Amino acid sequence: MNRSSFRGFITRPVLIALVIGICGGAGSILFLLEFDHYTSSNAFCTGCHSMSFAAESYRRSVHYNSPSGVRAECGDCHVSKGVFAATWDHTMGIKDLLKQFFGPNYEDPVINALHLPEAAFAARAWFRKQDSATCKSCHELSAIQGKRPDTQAIHRDETKGKSCIDCHYNLVHRQVPDEKTFKREAWNRMIEEEFKLAPGTAAKLLGEKH
Amino acid sequence: MSYLVRLFLVSVFIPLFSTDLTAAKVEVDPGTWGHPAGEKCVSCHQKASAGLTAQWQQSAHAKAGVNCMDCHRAEAGEVDAREHEGEVIATIVSPRDCGRCHKVEQEQQQGSVHAEAVALIEDRLPAFVQNLTGPAVLATGCAQCHGSRVQVRGDGTLDVATWPNSGIGRVNPDGSKGSCSSCHGRHRFSRAQAREPEACVRCHSGPDSPDKDIFEASKHGMAFAAQRAEMNLESAQWVAGKDYTAAPTCATCHMGAAGKLPSTHDVGMRNAWKLNSPVSEKEHLVVFQGGDKRELPESVPPPRRDSELAKTDGSMGRVSQVATPERRRQAMTLVCLECHGKGFATAFMSQFDSLVELFNDKFAKPARGIMAELYSRKLLTPTPFDEPIEFTYWELWHDEGARARHGAAMASPNHTWWEGMYLVGSKFYGQFLPQVRALAGTAAEEILSAQLGKDDQHAWLREPNRPYPILGTFPFPAAEKSP
Repeated sequence: MNRSSFRGFITRPVLIALVIGICGGAGSILFLLEFDHYTSSNAFCTGCHSMSFAAESYRRSVHYNSPSGVRAECGDCHVSKGVFAATWDHTMGIKDLLKQFFGPNYEDPVINALHLPEAAFAARAWFRKQDSATCKSCHELSAIQGKRPDTQAIHRDETKGKSCIDCHYNLVHRQVPDEKTFKREAWNRMIEEEFKLAPGTAAKLLGEKH
Repeated sequence: MSYLVRLFLVSVFIPLFSTDLTAAKVEVDPGTWGHPAGEKCVSCHQKASAGLTAQWQQSAHAKAGVNCMDCHRAEAGEVDAREHEGEVIATIVSPRDCGRCHKVEQEQQQGSVHAEAVALIEDRLPAFVQNLTGPAVLATGCAQCHGSRVQVRGDGTLDVATWPNSGIGRVNPDGSKGSCSSCHGRHRFSRAQAREPEACVRCHSGPDSPDKDIFEASKHGMAFAAQRAEMNLESAQWVAGKDYTAAPTCATCHMGAAGKLPSTHDVGMRNAWKLNSPVSEKEHLVVFQGGDKRELPESVPPPRRDSELAKTDGSMGRVSQVATPERRRQAMTLVCLECHGKGFATAFMSQFDSLVELFNDKFAKPARGIMAELYSRKLLTPTPFDEPIEFTYWELWHDEGARARHGAAMASPNHTWWEGMYLVGSKFYGQFLPQVRALAGTAAEEILSAQLGKDDQHAWLREPNRPYPILGTFPFPAAEKSP
């Protein structure tokens, strides 16, 4: 394209379209940044009563109460870094929102606890797929020292081919066994005892259509 | 003892009590251990838990190539299986796990008084744990010797009310009973350590069975202390009279191989008496087909081979073999004979039996009868330990009574007398009878004479005017003399 034809191309409507496009694009990006930021916050994530149970265990964890004063919020672990990846994760999160509206009553502490293992397995699989990227956005392997000298040595020598989540699960939320050794019957029994329910209630609750 | 008698005894005991003359060698193909994933554990555990790793490295297991996964491996479906660094493992290594290689020892141990140690005290727990103290004592006290019923929670963790525990009768998640590490401290599993009297002291101490103290106060303990260096404790084969002669330890008499008597992991097998009971009785040992065992009082005729009999858990079993108290005593005596003459050993046993019978007849049976009478006349409430006499009675047989009997069994004069029978006498005459009189009032004489009246051993109570110089010589008023 030569100079004159380029000038011919920049007509008034094109200029207007460009300005609108750039402003709109920048606006959208800014919106997404703000939107991702807001939807990654503790306030947003725990806004649903369903999430209050996860929040409870989180508030007892060192990720909430770290001696250094750094606090990891829900999104710091569960949402990828970068505006597009974060937007993608939030878009995928819509399915949880749909389940909240049309699925089981997760606001019921019993239902919530009964469904927790599958949620934990899904979250662990997600961390593994990301190679624990969100952990690494704060934790630098070579900088891990720990309270005992052994901690540093283990992170230096024993972590080849491993991702953070491979060892560090059951770190923040309620203890759930690994999927390989998980026993639904035993889990149900534990929840029944915890909530003083008649044996068999858990299986019935899980089988019910919501 | 003549060669023929020995031959007879040995031919009787070998088929019944063991399949091998000495400690059983592991007969499993070495190809079955050396789990490939087990090698990977060490590098990390050297850092994370250096102590236990070093203990394992010093063990015979490590030298033979038995690694962490050989013992800790589990199938995902097992109740207590959990994921750890990509492998499925179990924290608890149960006798069944050890039995994958140590088959003979596991078979002997299952059904033994050690393996059944939980059932032994379960009916005492409501009174002791709920009433007298509180639930915290179960995990830290009772269950640390007798064993806990280990519970696996639905989240895969071991219930902290039941774990950690290495009680000898621990009921494991896999259903097997016992904890090999109770005597064979993990992770070194030292032979020498299990043969030391110290291996028993964690539980065989305290008021009812201070057996390590008793041993130390006996000539056996004296010889052990003086000649410990000659005990050959690290030897692979450890047959009394052959591999060592310096002294016996607890393990020697109750489990060890001696001469031609095979070793056994059924620790109560050689005991003719049940000593820790309100009244002692000699007992038959019944072995069922399939290996389960139970004991039966001597007063019951021994069941015939192949007959049906209820097991300790209530299910029915078919009797495979019965060891009468005489045969159990003979087995124990075979150990004595490695160092003592037959006459010496039999006479010792007879002195021991006389002490047990003295306790039984003079104190245990009358006290039991009196207590039964107090309950049936409603002079006592049925709830145990809400009246002082219930403590007196409990301690009479469970504490000093048991101590006296153990003292006589293992030749500690002090435990038989000052720590034992003296206290039995002082408690019986000085506390128990006065408490009975106070409770029963006018009915006391009737109750007491029914239980004590026939027994000449208590006749001295009816002679208040016979002085002995034991408490010093006091001048007695002339009026006390017969007019």
